[in-house]
Amino acid sequence: MPYRTLLSVAVVLTLCVMTVDSEAWDESKYPDLKGQWVRAEGAGGVGRFDPTKPPGRLQEAPLTAEYHVIYEANLADQARGGQGIDPTYRCLSPGMPRIMHAYSPLEIVVTADTTHILIEHIHDSRRIHTDGRDWPEDMDDNPMFAGYSIGRWIDEDGDGRYDVLAVETRGLKNPRTYDASGIPFHEDGRTIIKEKIYLDKANPNLLHDEITTIDNALTRPWTVIKNYRRVVTDKPIWWREDICAENNVHVIVGKEDYFLSADGFLMPIKKDQPPPDLRYFKQSGK
Amino acid sequence: MQHRASIGMIVLAAALCTPTATQAFDDAKYPALTGQWTRAIVPGAVGQPPFDPARPPGRGQEAPLTPEYQAKFESTLAERAASGLGDVVSTTCLAPGMPMMMQAYEPMQITVLPETTYILIDHIHESHRRIFTDGRAWPKTVQPSFTGYSIGKWIDEDGDGRYDVLEAETRYFKGPRFFDSSGIALHEDDESVIRERIYLDKADRNLLHDEITVTDHALTRPWTVMKNYRRTLDPLADWPEYICNEQIPFIHIGNDTYKVSEDGYLMPTRTRQPPPDLRYFNQPKK
Repeated sequence: MPYRTLLSVAVVLTLCVMTVDSEAWDESKYPDLKGQWVRAEGAGGVGRFDPTKPPGRLQEAPLTAEYHVIYEANLADQARGGQGIDPTYRCLSPGMPRIMHAYSPLEIVVTADTTHILIEHIHDSRRIHTDGRDWPEDMDDNPMFAGYSIGRWIDEDGDGRYDVLAVETRGLKNPRTYDASGIPFHEDGRTIIKEKIYLDKANPNLLHDEITTIDNALTRPWTVIKNYRRVVTDKPIWWREDICAENNVHVIVGKEDYFLSADGFLMPIKKDQPPPDLRYFKQSGK
Repeated sequence: MQHRASIGMIVLAAALCTPTATQAFDDAKYPALTGQWTRAIVPGAVGQPPFDPARPPGRGQEAPLTPEYQAKFESTLAERAASGLGDVVSTTCLAPGMPMMMQAYEPMQITVLPETTYILIDHIHESHRRIFTDGRAWPKTVQPSFTGYSIGKWIDEDGDGRYDVLEAETRYFKGPRFFDSSGIALHEDDESVIRERIYLDKADRNLLHDEITVTDHALTRPWTVMKNYRRTLDPLADWPEYICNEQIPFIHIGNDTYKVSEDGYLMPTRTRQPPPDLRYFNQPKK
């Protein structure tokens, strides 16, 4: 009889494990990342890849000599009124890892097979695949600004709950820069980005993203920690829509960039910039 | 006594394995909408998908437009015929918005969580449609958007303890918005109300339906159509990145649209189109 009882208990437990596995996703195993996250440094952190250092040259990016020259030329163009090599003024995605500047609030949607990072900016959202897949064979044929991200949830302290999302991103597309000052990536597009995303142990409303970038424009891997603060409110959260093309005053013709004036006319962005070549228009007789 | 103890152990085992509401999100209560959804092919259909997939595009849609908006539509058709511009949305890189985004020009992902259902489509605008299912009321003030503000409710229609239908209502829009790329416009007052019933086909669980009813002041009556989507059976299906500004050769200066040629020069989009006014450039002295 005791044997039959034990068997019955075992059958009930087995059935219930199967039921939970097949019917319910146990979100309690994952850290609570719900809500709206904003850059922890506030407006002061805008545009900095390393939030602990001032922008521009003071980021002290470990660039190779060749890419340092490219960066300086870009800064010189910006000083003349140009955009340098920053592609975002054309409404191109900032791409990874710049996406994680969180120019707009971010939402992290965790499901069993994918973690979505949704950011309404230019084109900044990410899909991190956590279903155990391998890199796709055609990844390099279809590069993306956000890249292709594979992640793994890790229970670091062995308490049965995941603490860290470890992510690797490859398959990146150019042009990308680290920030608006134009710190460049190598043109080979072979950047590898490794991240550890985790909640602060002392403050569950503080999120960290340790980002390590490996790129052939760098002399060594460059690691920074981005921080995000959860918006704590008892009211429904507002998610703003951002349409880059709606408010963009930049007009690009060929390799030249112009401004659109408030009264709807084309304007130069640099002193003595020539107007666009109108060879394809029928000119009125003089 | 031994018998009672045995029953007790089995009941305890069963109780211990029952997931509680706080521990697990019971996704078994919701229809399985995971995976990638693409617009269901309509046999014989050619060209851009119309708002009502069951009817031919353009005038063949027989949109129940008021005389004023019918005249606008005819004017748009005439303008397009003269200019050769492809369609009304993709020349601007503005978001298609609701209801046009539900054409699913690119693959669609639906992620269901208890408080929100996300509909993610990366086309022109990287759209994150959030349908709030947390029981909230309409906010007193909402910043209008192309996607609108959506509140939904899950319904168990057949009483089997599982939800079958997501009913959504969307309001608070921004314009310009169109039903489809032929240029059937919604009213410029942006007071559209869009009601949807999203549900899996009873006979084919890889077929999804979205019954959309648009109430709008450009219409003489509510306009109801049925959109259909097929589930991609490949679990590793690609999620392409769509960067509108990479794709389109059009630029807008003032109220006029121009094209940039492959060799990087400004071109007219219609015959006898004048070149842009270059009054803000230093013109060469004659």
